Amino acid sequence: MALPLPLEGIRVVDFTWVRAGPWAARWLGTLGAEVIKVEWPENLDTLRQNRFTIPPGVEPGPNSTGQFADTNANKRGISINVRTEKGLELIKQLISVSDVVIENFSSRIMQRWGIGYDNMRELRPDIVYVSMAGFGHTGRHHYYGTMGPAAQALSGLTFLSGLPDAPPAGWGWSYLDDTGGMYGAMCALTALHHRSATGRGQHVDLSQMITGITLTGPAFLDRTINGRESRREGYPPGNRTVWPGAPVMNNYRGPVAAPHNAYRTRGGQYNDWCVIACHSNEEWERLVQLMGSPAWATDGASGPPHDGASGPPHDGASGPPYHGRMDTLQGRLDHQVEMDQGIEQWTLTLEKYELTDLCQANGVKAMAVQSSEDRVEHDPQLRDRGMYVPGEHPMLGSWKFQNAPFKLSESPAAIRRPPPMIGQHNREVMEDLLGLTHDELQDGYQDGTFWPEEMPQYPYIQEAIR
Amino acid sequence: MTDSVPSAHPTSGQNATESQPGGPLSGLRVLELTDEKGQFCGKLMADLGADVIKIEPPGGERCRSFGPFLDDDPHRERSLSFWHYNTSKRGITLDLDATEGQDIFKRLAAKADIILESRQPGYLPSLGLGYEDLAKDNPRLIMSSLTPFGQTGPWRDFQVSDIIHMAAGGQMASSGYDSQDVEDPPPIAPGGGNAWHIGAHYAYIGLMAALYYRDITGRGQYIDSSIHEACALTTEGAIAIYLSTGEVVRRHTGRHASPDQSPPIQFPTGDGGWINTTRSGSNLTAPRLRRLAEWMDGYNMADDLMDEKYQSNDVIQESNAHIVEVLYNFLGSISLEDAWQGGQERDFPWGAIRTMDDLMGDLHLEDRGFFVDVPHPELGRSFTYPGPAAIYNDSPWRISRRAPLIGEHNEEILCGELGLTRAQLMLLAESRVI
Repeated sequence: MALPLPLEGIRVVDFTWVRAGPWAARWLGTLGAEVIKVEWPENLDTLRQNRFTIPPGVEPGPNSTGQFADTNANKRGISINVRTEKGLELIKQLISVSDVVIENFSSRIMQRWGIGYDNMRELRPDIVYVSMAGFGHTGRHHYYGTMGPAAQALSGLTFLSGLPDAPPAGWGWSYLDDTGGMYGAMCALTALHHRSATGRGQHVDLSQMITGITLTGPAFLDRTINGRESRREGYPPGNRTVWPGAPVMNNYRGPVAAPHNAYRTRGGQYNDWCVIACHSNEEWERLVQLMGSPAWATDGASGPPHDGASGPPHDGASGPPYHGRMDTLQGRLDHQVEMDQGIEQWTLTLEKYELTDLCQANGVKAMAVQSSEDRVEHDPQLRDRGMYVPGEHPMLGSWKFQNAPFKLSESPAAIRRPPPMIGQHNREVMEDLLGLTHDELQDGYQDGTFWPEEMPQYPYIQEAIR
Repeated sequence: MTDSVPSAHPTSGQNATESQPGGPLSGLRVLELTDEKGQFCGKLMADLGADVIKIEPPGGERCRSFGPFLDDDPHRERSLSFWHYNTSKRGITLDLDATEGQDIFKRLAAKADIILESRQPGYLPSLGLGYEDLAKDNPRLIMSSLTPFGQTGPWRDFQVSDIIHMAAGGQMASSGYDSQDVEDPPPIAPGGGNAWHIGAHYAYIGLMAALYYRDITGRGQYIDSSIHEACALTTEGAIAIYLSTGEVVRRHTGRHASPDQSPPIQFPTGDGGWINTTRSGSNLTAPRLRRLAEWMDGYNMADDLMDEKYQSNDVIQESNAHIVEVLYNFLGSISLEDAWQGGQERDFPWGAIRTMDDLMGDLHLEDRGFFVDVPHPELGRSFTYPGPAAIYNDSPWRISRRAPLIGEHNEEILCGELGLTRAQLMLLAESRVI
């Protein structure tokens, strides 16, 4: 018997589009909510147009993009023109029988349509409403727009990433579309619990851009408390914790450590890289042994031989104990450039997974830099945990969907259905849920409520309204 | 804009000591047994009203030794990193390897709603403190283990740090530079400790899902959360692109993931700043280009873009490279502030690359009550902390107190709640159980 899902019985009206919003609703669906995605084919979701994700041999079209598929799994979909009186009336009916409304339009769109929070509350007094505007609905710049990369820039996240004396590298993908999406789901779930506890719904006014600021905490406090600005020498320090030659200070990733960098590995291909990080002298000593104790790493070690005996330094009386020049964190920071070159000479002799396994088996933190291909095809951990779930998609055929990164013992998340083809579930939603007759459904296709009058209908639509 | 300036009354100018209506998670008791891997998830719950008790080893949790420090003075009570990630929590110390420590933990667990832990897989069960042990007396208990790779699998016991996860999860394979910005660029792990944030966000979702399920059914459960899987989910379209076409994304400077060499969108401004223009050259319609051109013309920098021929979308499409060049020159002549706000006022969703300095005093953030004053009574000072990403209009987010001092609430919780005497507390302290 299939286990129950945690959000069974919850209905979500999903007005979201592009990435952050749909990703939020995707997780509500994966947790068992009935998510109804509201679309209109004349304002097509841009992920339905993503040219990079139409598999070769698949007929191009709004139902054929892989990125829309993964971002919108576990939803049903309706096509309806909210800008018509009839369409708006049906949307209001839908809201009145739903638990959650979620959207990522600019800040005043819902009010302009006459379905702002106050209107929603009349339709459904305990509605949970999550808005995901770039700057939020509150505050003087609420009407400013953002895409993920611009939101990252404004939040301070972009400046945290890169090499000193170069432009900011930022993030090579839309981190705040992923994470903004997570926050949308977090807000909806939190408000649903609050509703369980109090019987009251609420409006949760999320800002994608401000989400990013909350992820800069230690840098933020270093500025507000210590007055330290992040435009400074040696910052950001790339993959290192401190840039060679720059003053030693914490750069907000975690404790200062060396080595702490990315190194090329054997093969020389685009993603043949690994990272190695040593957070203690002991980890460094183990790495040195793995590398075969090369002279550059042990040079300057004039202390007692490594015979396991521990005792005072030979000349005990004065000065610090004997050290190799890289035996201490300070020493490794002082010789970072030479150290990193030496490490890379060694990593170039090994394949990246070979290196990962060898280091990890010997108590050294190391990891292959994994591409998307590596994660899907080569990562034994993700395979073992069932990260990519096979399923069928009406246009893409056999497809893989990304699984939840948490396993609930009693009510696990599940991939239950592929994403909707546009307007695929109009009949189910309008007739079974909202009680329209079949004649009324057909009328709605005649008068442009459910599909643009001049736009050709897909066969599955013709089938549904026959 | 004609709208009056909206402001956030429930949180605006808030002071963390004022009494206010409870957050959405108020009434929930959470035990937190974590370090950098889970402390942010605990903060998310604590600032939303949960009573989070952080359980540290005697002497304090090792994240207290992470800088930066107050006034650059390294001290376990002065870590700004620890301060940030542990707001609104209470704190006790407890040695779980000691029998007395285990007994106290069991008594606390019997009354807890949620346990969040990030110890080595198998560690708590080996002490008789696994979910099944604890749920016997408390079937409503929800327990989330948030660990690097989860409780199973070949990498389960691999040692990690933020950058290890960034490599494994695909963040580094996606991030770096265009070659015109940096020659022969390496993969870059974006800073700030975001592997832990990514893990915490998903762990929070798992917890809230379990909590809602408990609201309906009355039953608790165990959650096995993996930071690696959370990171592997967080590279935008990279996985979908690979599954669709077999291509992997290229690294480039600060823009959406793509498998090709998409055009740069990060431009320098006249005052040494940088602006992210979100594919400035694309999606330009005639009226939108006109709006840009009129703006640039005010600085005599529109080149030929005021020409009537740009009323044609086809001409705009063909002239994309030229338009971007004119824009590049224009943005390079004005200030960062003028550039991004000027773009936004004309409906271009651009963003300044801001540093912490640039965020200070931002009026929009002030309208939202984002700058939160948090008293540190033991220092006689207050400090400004970042506020919430979201405003809950019926159950406000707030920082109810600064991070706990080491063992600050030992007496309050162990004596006040569990009924230990002060003499017993002293014995526990002397035997280093607390």
